[in-house]
Amino acid sequence: MPVVQFNPFASLVQPAFWHELTRLKVDVLRLSDDELTLAGSYSVGRSIRDRETGQDVALGCNLSLGADAFDKTPTVPALSVSARGVFKNFNTIDEFKAADKAALFNTVADEMWTSIIDHKDTSKLNRFLLITFADLKKYQYYYWFAFPAFVAKPSWEIADNWKAAEEHLSADQLTSVFNALHADTKPYFIVKLTDGAAQLHTINQADTLLTGSDSQSIIIGFLDPSASPENPGWPLRNLLAYLLALYPSHTTFLRVLCWRDSEIPSPGKSWKSRFGVVSHPAGNDAASKPTALGWERHPTTNKLSARMADLAPMMDPTRLADQAV
Amino acid sequence: MHAIQQQYWAVRDYLSPVLKESKFKEHGRITPEEFVAAGDFLSYKFPVWTWERGDASKARDYLPTDKQYLVTRGVPCLRRATSLAYTDADEDAERLLNFGDSSDGAADEWVETHAGRKPTVDSAANPGEIDDIPDLDGDQELASAIGNVSISSTTGATVGETPDLDDIPDMEEEGLEEGEDEATAVPKSVTSGAVIDVSQIEVAKGNLLQVRTYDVMITYDKYYQTPRIWLIGYDENRTPLTPSQIFQDVSADHALKTVTIEAFPQSATLQAASVHPCKHASVMKKVIERMNVGVVEEQLAARKKEGKEGKKRWGFGRKSGKDDKNASAGGEEEEIEGMRVDFYLVVFLKFIASIVPTIEVDSTTAF
Repeated sequence: MPVVQFNPFASLVQPAFWHELTRLKVDVLRLSDDELTLAGSYSVGRSIRDRETGQDVALGCNLSLGADAFDKTPTVPALSVSARGVFKNFNTIDEFKAADKAALFNTVADEMWTSIIDHKDTSKLNRFLLITFADLKKYQYYYWFAFPAFVAKPSWEIADNWKAAEEHLSADQLTSVFNALHADTKPYFIVKLTDGAAQLHTINQADTLLTGSDSQSIIIGFLDPSASPENPGWPLRNLLAYLLALYPSHTTFLRVLCWRDSEIPSPGKSWKSRFGVVSHPAGNDAASKPTALGWERHPTTNKLSARMADLAPMMDPTRLADQAV
Repeated sequence: MHAIQQQYWAVRDYLSPVLKESKFKEHGRITPEEFVAAGDFLSYKFPVWTWERGDASKARDYLPTDKQYLVTRGVPCLRRATSLAYTDADEDAERLLNFGDSSDGAADEWVETHAGRKPTVDSAANPGEIDDIPDLDGDQELASAIGNVSISSTTGATVGETPDLDDIPDMEEEGLEEGEDEATAVPKSVTSGAVIDVSQIEVAKGNLLQVRTYDVMITYDKYYQTPRIWLIGYDENRTPLTPSQIFQDVSADHALKTVTIEAFPQSATLQAASVHPCKHASVMKKVIERMNVGVVEEQLAARKKEGKEGKKRWGFGRKSGKDDKNASAGGEEEEIEGMRVDFYLVVFLKFIASIVPTIEVDSTTAF
């Protein structure tokens, strides 16, 4: 059986975030390099039909940071969920380079694992880490994201590849999932199928639902930022780790719904959500902490390295004056 | 100089009165209330658009605090506008819109390009496509060579500002993660199925697709009494675009003339590309007039079909002065209202789509 491959998160930092960081650095943080909490968000995976070739182009699996990332209660758009992150800014490029990145990463991963084992908490499953160095004079921002994910050994496998959700769920059932998500968007949920409808439950109820007699009608669902047909998004990875750690006896077959519809499709169009049955051999030592990985790779070199946003063309007053007419 | 100009605009904007009377059909301008109504309709009909508060210190008091401007994020832009070859066959697609009194011969003109662009364009008919993208490949190679530093050397303004290569530290980390992870999806070179991934596009050099995304904002411009559109772009690696890169997505007739980089009014520091609104009102008037005729005809036809029993109201839009005249003419005519102001932004987006033809701002094709 093929191994389930997850589409990693790709960070998207809005220029407004760098502006806000600049303001914060100059007016509030000054030389402090304490860790702060960030709020990013991700939405359902989107694809666009190319008008000239008729092909569907899947857009990236993005986690974005905006100007309100430092706010305690950021607003998230419809069918998006907020993800909390740890933010650490360094004062010099040398500190940035010399930082013990593995230690920072492990701290976040440990915190995630503890929340799973001790609190059965799903709210930290999509944690991320962002380290930055802001060169305010040059309007250059060095940054590196990490999206920690726990590695399953052996890997999760999928029996019959990912299929369109329509093949397994009726349009009525999909519509009721959509309505429930639209009213209250959750990153992870459990769908309980009934005749012609579907009920949404929180993951905390997995205890009763997975062990119930009608486990065939239970589907694990998550808001999927990936639009690639073969690969579910990164959040599923930690959700599966969560289920494997807490309910190891029920992971031999898990029915998974990758939710990707931001609107009810108009007549003639199909639903974009995907469905698959994943499995993991039961009976391994689930309680021990698995290894975690997830540093973002540089988009052009595909190496593990930090990247830089150069906002001088849009922030430097002299450059702006040059192109003004 | 530019700073002084922006100060002047800010003062002018501050001093100009808020438009009170609705006259959108007469001269294409709308009041803040109508902007909110049209924005509500747009965000209701197309949930990709949402209202934003913006920076509290920059809030406009004539707009509700939680409805300062409209935004949609991640609007895809598959091709560069500069790559849309402009051949003789396209000349028919060009429409000259006249404004003002055509009698005095001094009327302003606005070229609407790509007006009749077909959904599918035969690429064989556009042989110039590749040549028309200046320096893009060169930039790409250089950019990847020095670690994706975005440089803008496509215009003369920034030539000579190539960053010093020594300044950019090599920050690759060794031993942070061991080996390849089999469960991490990597961009595949061969596509299976109809959906292709963005990352595959950048890998394939020969492919013309370079998917950029844009955050699009619509603010209300108090001085011109029209909506105004703002663009912030990202390249396929989600790095912010430079002004010259943004201009590649603007149709050649408008780049650097009507589209400029200016301070975004709802933020203290942010700069964004914007379509200057000085012609918006007159263009909107033309478009609304044209559409209104169609809408009125459609409504008349629909009402005739409904006959006497059909006392259905045509929506909930505010009545214009024209309606009152109609109402005095006869009770039945009261129902013919024409285009409602709620549609203003939907129409506005269609107009904007002609300026930035490859940015898919117009998600409203259902209309």
